Amino acid sequence: MILGDFGTSYCKFLDQEADAQPRIIAASDFPRETRVVYGTGHNGKRFSGQYVNELTALAKGGEALIPEEDFVLLDCGSRDLKFVQYENRRIKDMGWNAECGASMGFTIELLERYYQLDFKKIRVPERAFSVTCGVLGMSHIFDAVINDIPVDVAVARFVKGIAINAFRFAGSPEKLYLSGGLCDNPLFVQSFPCEVVCLGRFVLLEGLKSYTNPE
Amino acid sequence: MPFTMNIIHNPSTLPIRTESLKNVGIVGIPPVDFIRFLNERQVVIHDLDALLTKADIETATAYLPKVYCAILRTVMLNGLHLNLDAIIIDVGPGKCDAAYHVATILEETVNIPVIRTANEDMIDLGTPVCRTRMNLLKKFKTITEGVKSANPADGNFPACKPAAGFWGVPPRDFSILSLFPDTTHIYGWTRCMENKTPANINLESHYNPKVPTVFFAQSFCAKTALARHLATRHPQGLYLDVDFSAGSSAKAKIQAFLELTGVAL
Repeated sequence: MILGDFGTSYCKFLDQEADAQPRIIAASDFPRETRVVYGTGHNGKRFSGQYVNELTALAKGGEALIPEEDFVLLDCGSRDLKFVQYENRRIKDMGWNAECGASMGFTIELLERYYQLDFKKIRVPERAFSVTCGVLGMSHIFDAVINDIPVDVAVARFVKGIAINAFRFAGSPEKLYLSGGLCDNPLFVQSFPCEVVCLGRFVLLEGLKSYTNPE
Repeated sequence: MPFTMNIIHNPSTLPIRTESLKNVGIVGIPPVDFIRFLNERQVVIHDLDALLTKADIETATAYLPKVYCAILRTVMLNGLHLNLDAIIIDVGPGKCDAAYHVATILEETVNIPVIRTANEDMIDLGTPVCRTRMNLLKKFKTITEGVKSANPADGNFPACKPAAGFWGVPPRDFSILSLFPDTTHIYGWTRCMENKTPANINLESHYNPKVPTVFFAQSFCAKTALARHLATRHPQGLYLDVDFSAGSSAKAKIQAFLELTGVAL
């Protein structure tokens, strides 16, 4: 059975019979005749036998991967932010910010490529830009750069601002489980003002598994 | 033109010639006495809180900020485009401060009398529609249509066991209602509407802690505070605010919430 998470920038697939690990394909590159049994993600409805909405997939993934009774799980995607909060293993709150969290992951990747940065080598700055979304935050970087602040510092302040924004969106928890491709960005992860546990980019696929084996 | 701040409590003292009234717009829920007064004279009542014209909502932006309650922007739109003889607007505790200011703007904008009332009715007329098994969209339509009548809704509406709850005002975008099961009970101001006691804060604050409930408010409405407060107190409550129309993320939140709280759809 094939499961698919059709994200804005990347698609993740798991063939439960053939794959030991999920496969990642750029959203622009996957074959358009692709069909999956269970699918989720921004772009998933067209390609899925049964579509599961992203918040549900995220929550189910959290239930499968996180052992604690109480937890907050935040997914930082290319396009939006989503979180679920559990209390006593029951859903307590959730949020999906597709507007003010717009394009944050996408923008961070764009900046990395444009300025040819290596986020593994950039230190977390003390200060952060006050940014509400990727698009609006770009102007802070441009302003900083024309004022002789090094590009890597300006981008790091932007990334930290994005992380703080995401942290507040998730309710400012003491401990945060993080989902999504930004788990691989150490500057972003270390910019959170709380303990962060990275679960990687396959949490939603994990959530879809619960539909194939409801037990 | 000077502002008129008078609040009219009795329809017999309306400062207009009532014999010529044929079409009257209402905002919020005027007191039952006013509705009865209009019903007895066969005046056609138009609920200006509901979308009654295909005119572009942006035409309201000339009079109200763009970032403003979508219901009141709709009121402004209707007031501008419908052929009415008068508008009766509840500016009391059963509506909101914003309506008070919208009354002033309407008064200066439309060339018809704008009558301010303050509905503090406390006689319970019942809430059977809120608690019956019925398509939620139909339930809301029944209740919102009911504001044009001084009487409770006609029909037999036996109570059902609730599977989910919807707390709040009638949303500007009814499409979110289709996501709920027929056994959803309605709470909040909409229940006050059916009961014809829009200022009954005790009834408005009531919820059932045993039923997963979406606490809804229009974005930029003062009721967002109460909705969020009650959602945090409810063991399985989800706060949701939506502006003019519900986007996919708002709908996904509702779907996920209902599924994850075990509501059978």
